[in-house]
Amino acid sequence: MKHGPLVFLAAFFVLSTSWFGFVLKPQADLGNAVQETNVVSTALYPQPRPGQAHQGAEVYRANGCFYCHSQQVGQTGVTCDVVLTAPGTNLTAAAEAIAKANPALATANLTELMKKLPANILTNVDRSTADNAMKLLKAPDMKAEVHIVPIGPDIARGWGRRHNVAEDYVYDWPVMLGSQRVGPDLANIGARKPDANWQLTHLYSPQGLVKGSTMPSYRFLFETRKIGRVPSPYALQLTGDLAPAAGYEIVPKPEARELVAYLLSLNSDAPLYEAPFTTPAPAPAQTNSIAAK
Amino acid sequence: MNQEPTHSHQQTEANTGQPAVPMWLIGLMMVLLLLGAIYFDNNGGWFDSNVYAPYHNSAELDRYQLPSLGNEQVVLGKRLFEANCALCHNTDGTGKTGQAPPLAGSEWVNAQGSYRIIHIPQFGLTGPIDVKGQTYVIGAGMAPMGAQYTPDELAAVLTYVRQAWGNKAPAVTPEQVSKVRSELSSHPQQYTVDELKKLPEQAP
Repeated sequence: MKHGPLVFLAAFFVLSTSWFGFVLKPQADLGNAVQETNVVSTALYPQPRPGQAHQGAEVYRANGCFYCHSQQVGQTGVTCDVVLTAPGTNLTAAAEAIAKANPALATANLTELMKKLPANILTNVDRSTADNAMKLLKAPDMKAEVHIVPIGPDIARGWGRRHNVAEDYVYDWPVMLGSQRVGPDLANIGARKPDANWQLTHLYSPQGLVKGSTMPSYRFLFETRKIGRVPSPYALQLTGDLAPAAGYEIVPKPEARELVAYLLSLNSDAPLYEAPFTTPAPAPAQTNSIAAK
Repeated sequence: MNQEPTHSHQQTEANTGQPAVPMWLIGLMMVLLLLGAIYFDNNGGWFDSNVYAPYHNSAELDRYQLPSLGNEQVVLGKRLFEANCALCHNTDGTGKTGQAPPLAGSEWVNAQGSYRIIHIPQFGLTGPIDVKGQTYVIGAGMAPMGAQYTPDELAAVLTYVRQAWGNKAPAVTPEQVSKVRSELSSHPQQYTVDELKKLPEQAP
C-alpha cells in the first residue's frame, strides 16, 4: 500500500471522532443522571422500582413485549393556555381586561365565562402571546395562569402528558424503548390503567376487554386449578366463555403478578426541567372488568 | 507492429493535474456552510443534554418552565433532610422512641427564635433531652450533621423542619447560620441541653 500510515491515520481519526461524538459525549452528558426533585410536589423522580416490579421488567423482557409496545411518548410542539382562576373583586374591570387580552371574547358573555372557573381565555398560543395577555389581565385581585400544554399525536391519543426524556429511564436496564407500535405505547400505562385486576384480566384475555385487539393471550402466565378449601384471593373474576369450569379457578402465576407490578410502575407523569407541562391529569380510566359486562 | 497504438480518446480523459475549482462553487459552499451554521445555532441546542425537540435551545426551554412557586428553599431542605436526617428522625419527623426525638410538634423546633436550633445540627447534641414530655437519651449523641452544609443548605433544612408536618415557625435565613458560624467556628464536644439552654432563643 502506497500511503498506508496516512490511510490508517485518516481511518483512525474518523472512527475516533465518531466515538467521541456518539459514545463519550452522550455518556458524559447523560451517564451521571440522578433523581431530580419535582418542583411542584417536592417528590423525588424517578423512583427505583420496587422488587416485584423489578422482576416484572425481566418478565416483560423475556416475553418480548417490547417487540410490539414502545415506551416513548413523542411531542411535536408546545403551546400555552391562558387560564383565569379568579376574576377578582371588580367584575367590570375584569371583563374589560379579558376583552383586551383576547378581543375575540369581547362579544361573548363574560359574566358566564367568569362563573365557570377555571376558564380558558386564550388557547393554543405561543409563549410571547401568552405573556402579553398576562400583562393585560390586570384587575383588582384577579388571578390568571399560563398553562404549558405539550402537543403531538401521541399526546392526543392520551399516551402521556409530555414527551419522554433520558431522565425517565434512569433506573431501567436494559431500556426497553421499543421500535414498533403494533400495540399502544406503554410509557404511562401505570397512570392510564392503574387497576391491577384490569391488567391481569387483559393479559389473560385481551379480546375480552378490548374489542378487535391483536394482542395474543398470555394464558401460560396463569394456572387453572381446583378451588381448595379457600379460594385464592388473586383468582380472576371471569364470566361467560372465559369462566373456568365449576369448582376451578384461574390464578395468576407469580410472573403475571410481577409483570403487572412492572406495568403499573410505568409512569412518567412528573414535570421535569427538560419536559415542562401543566396539563391536568386525565380522568382515571374505567375499570372495564369482564365481570361488569 | 507490436507498438501500442496511440489511443486518441485517452487525451480527452481527466488528467492528473490540479484543475481549478470554479469560483462559484467555492462561493456556493461558503454560503451553504453559513446557512448551516445559522440553522444549527438556532435549532441545535448546542449539544445541551436538556434540550429535546420540539425545543430548539435552552433559552426557549427556559421560557416554558413552570412559574416558580417560590418554594425552592423547601424543596432543597426536604431533599437534604430525607437524605441525611430522616434515618433517625424519620421522613415524617416522628423520630425514634428513646433514641431520636421527634421534630414534628417539638418545642425546640417550634421556638420563635432560631438561634438555639442552628447550634444543634452545626455542633451536634448529646442527651438526655426532654421533648414533648419524653426523655430521649440519643445513644452516642447526634453528630454535627449540618457542619458540612453551606449556610444556604443548612438554612433550607432547618426551614423545612420548622415548617413541615404541621410545624409553624419562622424560616431560617442563611445570614443567621453564618452569624452562628462566625461567632464559634468549632466546639470541642457536642452541645448538652444545659449548654443549649444557656444560649438565648433569639440571636443576641
